[in-house]
Amino acid sequence: MNAAEDDGFAAFVAARATSLLRVAYLSCGDEGEAEDLLQTALERAYRNWDRVRYDNPEPYVRRIIVNAAINRARRRAILRMIPMHTPPEPSARETDVDLRHVLMETLRALPPRQRAVVVLRYWEDLSETQTAEVLGCSTGTVKSQASKALAKLRAAIGGESAEGVIRNVHA
Amino acid sequence: MSTLEDELHRLMGEETARLRAAPDLVDRVVRSTRRRHRTKRIGFTALVAAAAFAAAAVPAYLVLGPDSVAVPEPAVSGPAPASETSRPEATDEAAPEPPAIDDTIPAPSPTRDLGDLGDGKAFKSLRVGYLPKRLQWSHWSLDFGDKYTTSWNYDGDSNGFYCVQIYVHEGQAVQEVDERVQGYRDEGEGAEVAVGDRTGYLVRQGVGEDGGDGTPTLVLSVGEGRRVEVMFSPDYAKDLGGAEAVDRELKKIGENLTAAD
Repeated sequence: MNAAEDDGFAAFVAARATSLLRVAYLSCGDEGEAEDLLQTALERAYRNWDRVRYDNPEPYVRRIIVNAAINRARRRAILRMIPMHTPPEPSARETDVDLRHVLMETLRALPPRQRAVVVLRYWEDLSETQTAEVLGCSTGTVKSQASKALAKLRAAIGGESAEGVIRNVHA
Repeated sequence: MSTLEDELHRLMGEETARLRAAPDLVDRVVRSTRRRHRTKRIGFTALVAAAAFAAAAVPAYLVLGPDSVAVPEPAVSGPAPASETSRPEATDEAAPEPPAIDDTIPAPSPTRDLGDLGDGKAFKSLRVGYLPKRLQWSHWSLDFGDKYTTSWNYDGDSNGFYCVQIYVHEGQAVQEVDERVQGYRDEGEGAEVAVGDRTGYLVRQGVGEDGGDGTPTLVLSVGEGRRVEVMFSPDYAKDLGGAEAVDRELKKIGENLTAAD
């Protein structure tokens, strides 16, 4: 890699690494693994920088992160049965911190692809089409995965009155 | 967006607000990559300096990136001092000297191209004996010395997208591509293939860990000191109509590569 390419890579990392780290964390639910995912993805980007840099490299790196997180979660699931997180009792959520805890725990407990859809759609604000591109699936799959994920998240924070719970938290 | 989705976004923002990328991340990535293929230390100091320099470019990058997504916090709070970017314990390489305050970043040397290649089928040491129909030389090439590349597409436009791209790796660059292939091997991606009397590795590079298209690639050993990397763009691979056709065409290109000298 020549100096100009190095400069471009360093500029990219300086600008986007924290944002990508957050995507990685939300995708895998673990801070240490998120750092590893990010570094691994950036190493791939660095190795291929002479090609990647001609496009916007952020979607490329994000795609590696999200798909690697899904892959790792699936590999772990094959190796051992992960005990499913049990959502806390819905009545105990009186503070914003509780609500965040419940939602994050439920997010972690989602199947990897559903979690990725939530992160890409509702954190990264990608469209259904963009999310489908990242995940290499159809927009129909994105819609159905998002719907299932939201149903679980709603259930975790109080069943059919989820929006009411959220409003009460802020009341 | 409904209330639940809004709330999800807000809560994910709160949950991740404390996270910051390590200030020495560029250093780590570069070290980890270079540790593997042991390239020269030249340019590293410039990169560390560039990391500091790059912080000034953050707002521009955030604005310019066409798909950049707004984040609730600034990306990185500021450049890491050079002393913070050195992690001598993390590697068996000598720690790079921090740049002196009056160091100037060397001007990048211009990357050369391979000149007018005619139909593009012979470049430097390689002759391409077969290409799928309808492809023309793109009039684009790059020459990094120990690796060089050119491509072919439908319209011969140097600004167009590539359909087929071939890299030739020689000398130091061979180690990099070998290690990259080994990485795929270790991850269970791709497969060894025999292409004529040569050995090769077929893999979808870059992405595709969860069904993404990736870049269909054949890395072929053409002697101890030379590797040829034949790549199809994901879009072109779709045009070929399926994995079997893609692999067949990649191998056919590989079978018909000969020395140009």
